Amino acid sequence: MPNQNGSVYGLTLLCPIINDHRASPSHDLQIRAYLATLPTGPDSPFAIAPHTHLARLVVMDDVVFVGAPAREEHLKSKYLVFEANIDCPPHAIGTTGLDTYLAGLAMAAPQQLDAIWSHCTGYPGTANLQAFLHYMKACQIETTFFFAATNDKSVTQTLKALQTQRAVADFIATHQGKDPAELQRDFLAFSQKLIAAPTPKPAVPAPQRPMQTGGRNE
Amino acid sequence: MSNINGKVYAMNAITPMRPWKTWILRAIFFILGNVKPLQSDLINLSFIQFARWVIIPRNSFPFVGAPQQRELLEYDYLLFFSNFNGTWNQYIDAFSAVLSKGLDLVWKWSEKFPGSTPVTIFKEYITRVQFDTDYYYTAYPHATANDVKNAHIVQQTFDALNRNAATMSPDQFREAYLQFVLSVQTHLGATGEAPIVF
Repeated sequence: MPNQNGSVYGLTLLCPIINDHRASPSHDLQIRAYLATLPTGPDSPFAIAPHTHLARLVVMDDVVFVGAPAREEHLKSKYLVFEANIDCPPHAIGTTGLDTYLAGLAMAAPQQLDAIWSHCTGYPGTANLQAFLHYMKACQIETTFFFAATNDKSVTQTLKALQTQRAVADFIATHQGKDPAELQRDFLAFSQKLIAAPTPKPAVPAPQRPMQTGGRNE
Repeated sequence: MSNINGKVYAMNAITPMRPWKTWILRAIFFILGNVKPLQSDLINLSFIQFARWVIIPRNSFPFVGAPQQRELLEYDYLLFFSNFNGTWNQYIDAFSAVLSKGLDLVWKWSEKFPGSTPVTIFKEYITRVQFDTDYYYTAYPHATANDVKNAHIVQQTFDALNRNAATMSPDQFREAYLQFVLSVQTHLGATGEAPIVF
């Protein structure tokens, strides 16, 4: 199934934007204005709702005319494109996993979703969850080919691994040349602390390491 | 508009195709999806986190009922979405230099596609068919595709050492720890803000 690659699911939605010439500003512009204010960090709706690796929202104004002799044609609606790369483990492949993801999004960030999609034709709102799910899936386009560089790890596993990578680098740097018994004791304490540490929240920038100076290349 | 978030760039492109050609492209993607060695160049480029191609047949744009009007189009459309690390120029240059045959195989069915080499004409075409992203989210903005791959290698190696660390003698642990350091030392690059490039 081309939407699926390992345990990652490629979701593509094209939702028609309300075409009302009396609206001022136009609905597509209202979506763009709202998206410009929507946070991309830990307050993002996609960070609050779990399972999103990367996602984008794009107003597609029209198809592209590439020049003669190709024929020029235009869309009757503008479309809101929602492209997301989400966790969907193999046992949840299919609509069950997609329903769970979309429902999680609707429950975690209903105001933001409604603020965006209320400018789309026929959008029922998140209050009616079944209608919301039906609408979103009616706007789904099947992916033809989906590539994922890492296709067997969840968002949580990746955030934890990045935390481990950083902590291990620091541990190695501060434990060079240590006595074996001390090294083992410190490692066991370190690993216990690391395993017990909470998983970092999504979309939070990693803390900057202090700049190392005095290297031979400076 | 925000095509960039941290170390990731969101690219969107749409190109028209004559409907009879889309079946050829579907066959190519089917083979590419099922013969994994054919994806090796894409994997080895190592700066693409996720990418997808979506063919929309001319009569298959989503229709949710009135007052939306059905689309009346002559072309099918190929949508391309990529999430990559680095700059637009680096990406297109690398695509052109490394994946030119593969790219040509995918896009030669699109109208007026000039080929991925020479790169100047290719860039002109991409500029024409690309459209900008209005909102872009990533769960790990300061990590590249390679950072993510490396982090999972470190995690796996760390877990393996940790499983037996408590039952080893100090000297056995020291040996195992040195092997661990040798295994992970090339996978420890720090994540952080992207360098400023032009």
